[in-house]
Amino acid sequence: MGLSTHAQKPTRFGGGLPLSKYWLLLLALPVLGALAFAIFQPIQVLPRISLAPGFSFTDQHGARLTSDDLRGKLVYYTFMHTGCDANCAQTVQGLKVIQQAVDEAGSSVPVEFVAISFDPQRDTAERLRHFATEQGLDGEHWHLVTGDPVQLKNVIGAGFGAYYEQTDDGAFRFDPMYVLVDGWGIQRAFYRTPMPDPVRIVRDINFITKELENSEGLNRLAYEAAHLFLCYPD
Amino acid sequence: MTAPNTPTEPTVTATPEAARQTSIYSRILWISVGAILVLALAALLAWRLRPPELHGVLIQSPQEAADFTLMTSTGEPMSLSDFRGKFVLLYFGYTFCPDVCPTTLNDLKGMMEALGPKRAEDVQVIMVSVDPERDTVEQLSTYLPYFHPSFLGMTGKVEDIQPVASRLGIFFERHEGTSAAGYLVDHTAVVILVDDEGYVRMIFPYGTSGEDMAADLTYLMR
Repeated sequence: MGLSTHAQKPTRFGGGLPLSKYWLLLLALPVLGALAFAIFQPIQVLPRISLAPGFSFTDQHGARLTSDDLRGKLVYYTFMHTGCDANCAQTVQGLKVIQQAVDEAGSSVPVEFVAISFDPQRDTAERLRHFATEQGLDGEHWHLVTGDPVQLKNVIGAGFGAYYEQTDDGAFRFDPMYVLVDGWGIQRAFYRTPMPDPVRIVRDINFITKELENSEGLNRLAYEAAHLFLCYPD
Repeated sequence: MTAPNTPTEPTVTATPEAARQTSIYSRILWISVGAILVLALAALLAWRLRPPELHGVLIQSPQEAADFTLMTSTGEPMSLSDFRGKFVLLYFGYTFCPDVCPTTLNDLKGMMEALGPKRAEDVQVIMVSVDPERDTVEQLSTYLPYFHPSFLGMTGKVEDIQPVASRLGIFFERHEGTSAAGYLVDHTAVVILVDDEGYVRMIFPYGTSGEDMAADLTYLMR
């Protein structure tokens, strides 16, 4: 009887859980760890959405600016033309809000601002330069560019997914939009709004700079895990 | 009536003891086997769930790569979607390129060798010409097999290649150089990996070794 009772008792480890449950727990640990990582998101990252389009445009100084020139830097893009009054001023104000937020965030990575004009006929280099001066955009980090109409459509429309259209009277219809592109040339965030939220801008810049600062060794694995488990902010 | 002290009694008391010992040994054996199995399974799970140690930059694009059709070095037009089921490595370069393109094509050759013949069957390297004026079908079909017999070239009109390149983050522009071959073409030098389902999955910066590209591909192909 005594022997039989002993045989039915599950083997215990240190007087705690039955041994078999320890094995189950051990087996479940990697799964539980992955689940906990996905649910509690100890590290958050911005998604790597898609490749930003490649281009070669002319800036407000008449110099060539290519997508390769901007590698290694964070870039905020927007799409505009100088011929419109209220909308364009608002777009530029939007970029200035971003610049102010970036300055406050004190990013360790250089941040550039590129405003692509979809009206190359009227927005010559001289006119873009005049517009930049008028709006108080400093020449070092601001690039007001334009180029060949077909390339513009490919880059703005197909590449960035921003809508613009020239109407019969020569005016333009467009949706204000800002895009954050990282140093690899990958689109990381879209802001489909006339006036971006500076708090969100600072947050997004911080996400990317932290990821860059932790791009070596074990830290990189943790950040890649965050991408793998879609630890993205709202 | 009762016989409490029968001669067989010592044997009766010894048998349960032996049985208990056998049972304990048997249990230890099974627990050990179970432990090894569970540990092996846990290690396998942890290995499968580990974050990748990648050399390229992983992209989790929700959209498939835009399809395109160009003339190949075999003389027939083909689309990117024709390679569905294979991992496609796209490189935008040109045959008169003095340094960057041959270096990258050599790295891609090294990648094919590192992958081994079986995995390499599921991989297609395509060089899309950024200099279609000089990169004819004949020129591409002579140049590319020098690196690897399976490498394909693609060419077409500049106006057809430009949007394809731009959508994939590639810029190219011709400029007059001092090269004996005439003009040069500035171009983005990354390698783009499109997976077997048609999604852009990774970019390899210029200088990524063949072994490193093969290691990343092996991870994605598992």
